Amino acid sequence: MCVGLPARVVNIKDGMALVDASGARRQVSAELIDELDPGDYVMVHAGVAIAKITADDEEETDALLGEL
Amino acid sequence: MAEGNKVSAREIIENYRGPKLRIMEVCGTHTHEIFRLGIRNILPENIELISGPGCPVCVTPVGFIDEAVYLAQKCGCTITTFGDLIRVPGTEKSLAGARSEGAKVQPVYTPTDAVQYAEEHPDEQVVFLAVGFETTTPSACLAVRMAKDKGIKNFSLLTANKTMTNAYRALKGSADAFLYPGHVNAVTGADSCAQLVDEGIYGVVCGFTAREILTALAVTIRGLEKGEPFFRNCYPRVVTDEGSISGKKIMEEFMEPCDSEWRGLGVIPQSGLRLRSEFAEYDARVKYKLPEMKGKPNPACRCGEVLQGKCTPADCKVFGKGCTPLHPVGACMVSNEGTCAAWYAYRRENINE
Amino acid sequence: MSKTVTLAHGAGGKQTSELIHEVFESHFKNPLFTADDAAILEIEPGKLAMSTDGFIVSPYEFPGGNVGKLSICGTVNDLSCMGAEPLYLTCAFVIEEGFPMDKLEEIAAAMEKTAAEAGVRIVAGDTKVAGKGQVDGVFITTTGIGRIRDGVRTGGALAKPGDAVIVTGDVGRHGCTILLARNEYGIEADVDSDCAPLWGTVSSVLDASDDIHVIRDATRGGVGTVLYEIAEQSNVGVRIEAEAVPVDDAVKGVCGMLGLEPLYLACEGRLVIIAPREEADGIVEVLRKGKYSGNAAIIGEITEDMPGKVVMTTEIGAETLLPQPGGELLPRIC
Repeated sequence: MCVGLPARVVNIKDGMALVDASGARRQVSAELIDELDPGDYVMVHAGVAIAKITADDEEETDALLGEL
Repeated sequence: MAEGNKVSAREIIENYRGPKLRIMEVCGTHTHEIFRLGIRNILPENIELISGPGCPVCVTPVGFIDEAVYLAQKCGCTITTFGDLIRVPGTEKSLAGARSEGAKVQPVYTPTDAVQYAEEHPDEQVVFLAVGFETTTPSACLAVRMAKDKGIKNFSLLTANKTMTNAYRALKGSADAFLYPGHVNAVTGADSCAQLVDEGIYGVVCGFTAREILTALAVTIRGLEKGEPFFRNCYPRVVTDEGSISGKKIMEEFMEPCDSEWRGLGVIPQSGLRLRSEFAEYDARVKYKLPEMKGKPNPACRCGEVLQGKCTPADCKVFGKGCTPLHPVGACMVSNEGTCAAWYAYRRENINE
Repeated sequence: MSKTVTLAHGAGGKQTSELIHEVFESHFKNPLFTADDAAILEIEPGKLAMSTDGFIVSPYEFPGGNVGKLSICGTVNDLSCMGAEPLYLTCAFVIEEGFPMDKLEEIAAAMEKTAAEAGVRIVAGDTKVAGKGQVDGVFITTTGIGRIRDGVRTGGALAKPGDAVIVTGDVGRHGCTILLARNEYGIEADVDSDCAPLWGTVSSVLDASDDIHVIRDATRGGVGTVLYEIAEQSNVGVRIEAEAVPVDDAVKGVCGMLGLEPLYLACEGRLVIIAPREEADGIVEVLRKGKYSGNAAIIGEITEDMPGKVVMTTEIGAETLLPQPGGELLPRIC
């Protein structure tokens, strides 16, 4: 239901972040995330950064499978 | 994916031989990715994936489209919307139909772009069609705040925003476990679903890459095999326990819970959001004194049962015949995320037409 | 001359001849360009290919080209796909009243330059002016004649099981460029249209192999649409490797933001070439040396099973159908 795209934060100003997804850039709202810095990766949905991305999917899935 | 002697997610899925499992992927983007990646084609027979009601376009009732068409044609409003809604059939016509008769319908990427459009077109009355779940609703709230801050009067929302928790309760019997929609949980937090374990509702929060979907399925299978209550956040790199506190706060500030109609599922109590009365001037229903519209879905359409996993699209009489992506009857055929559209697009056999 | 095109420029009188003289003739001048009712051409014996196409694009200029360049490339490429060396073109303009004269000049200049590169001569033209709002900027229709190379026979119905499927470059660039140029979604990316005249590309392929089955340019609907057309016309299946399809990173990013699939976005300088597997590596090698086909790649094969369908091997190695494209391209956001 919610197409999300990982993107890198280029800069932040007045609650808006310029994000870059492999060369596609757009201003998105940064207001849903409390601490955000340039260089962070965020999940972008409909013009809003909804979450900070803290790891890559390989690390994460390896850890989960390790528990099984 | 298999490294050393660690068992891969795919092996767990492909080698499952236990009793039949019914797993519902709630989110339309999951449905889309599962088809795109061909994951259904590697499932053993005894694992059934059910596509749930997590495509906002699909669960938006006919009456909502009728309201939007009324605003465009009777009130002369400019409709701004996510592109997916444009072809959804209403009782008489879709927004695409209204557009071909001269109505102004403008797709936008985000609701604040609609506010900007209103600012740049002061002669037009601009309405944004606010659909979506907790992932999307904050963006609509941000739009109202932007309009308020800038003193923009020619902007309002037609709301059909929905919340997921009561939908899980309503769908409890439809599946053994849910793959929860990771991006909803990014805002609501993993805890919102963890709490459902006490009510006998199980599942895992699922990410969106191939790896993540396969892993979430494997974790679900192992969880169901054990036969004990379970919940697991399989998407912690994006989903925290509490989610986005700011996101929840802004929804709380602008919106309040209400009963909400889901196409096919009927009214689910307290599963919707509407603007609080102090923001009534941004509420298109109040601003334009919209009459109540019930909307008449096509009686042959079985989208409701499809959304509950009670039948597959192939069981529907109009699927692939009267109802195709180019001429959708039901909403599930409209969005690329819709179950029927996905079945149609990826069907292997030709449908007898 | 006035700064904009007026209805008088289409009325047939003095202003019309002024417009033709100063804008079109100065760019299209060649010994065959006719001042009479029709151009007179001498053509060597042999098979001819003839094609016509209308060009409407909004906006009419975009990174990597404009509607003028597009109108030459489109017809040149259609002829080239049939193995025909493009020889002559005609062009008909419908111009909106008020269209800026300097922009018309730029369009004509782009047509001149592209035609010269393609080795094709513009031999006749027509100009009409429509009232404000009756057309969007400028519409151009070009018609072309080419001479088919001896012994060459290509066509959408000629794909055979076992053939390789080649694309001559990364897909979806033109469609993505136009989407960004309309500036409806506030997204920026460094993407240029792939719009290019491809006779040079085709002739190098025809030199490299005398057993080419299908050449088709992937325009509206993109490579995905072309593959479905070929599957249907040839009554064969097409199997492609999702990860073998070249896509520019920025195009991927834009598509990710808007929920679009690059395989369905238009190209204006990309060919799908189908030839026997044993010829394919040699063809790709030649293509990679070409000006417009540096990242050519084999993306799949023609199969006997699943006739009429395009099957994709996905990144997890599973198989799935490539959904058949259709309908208006609308961004999927929620």
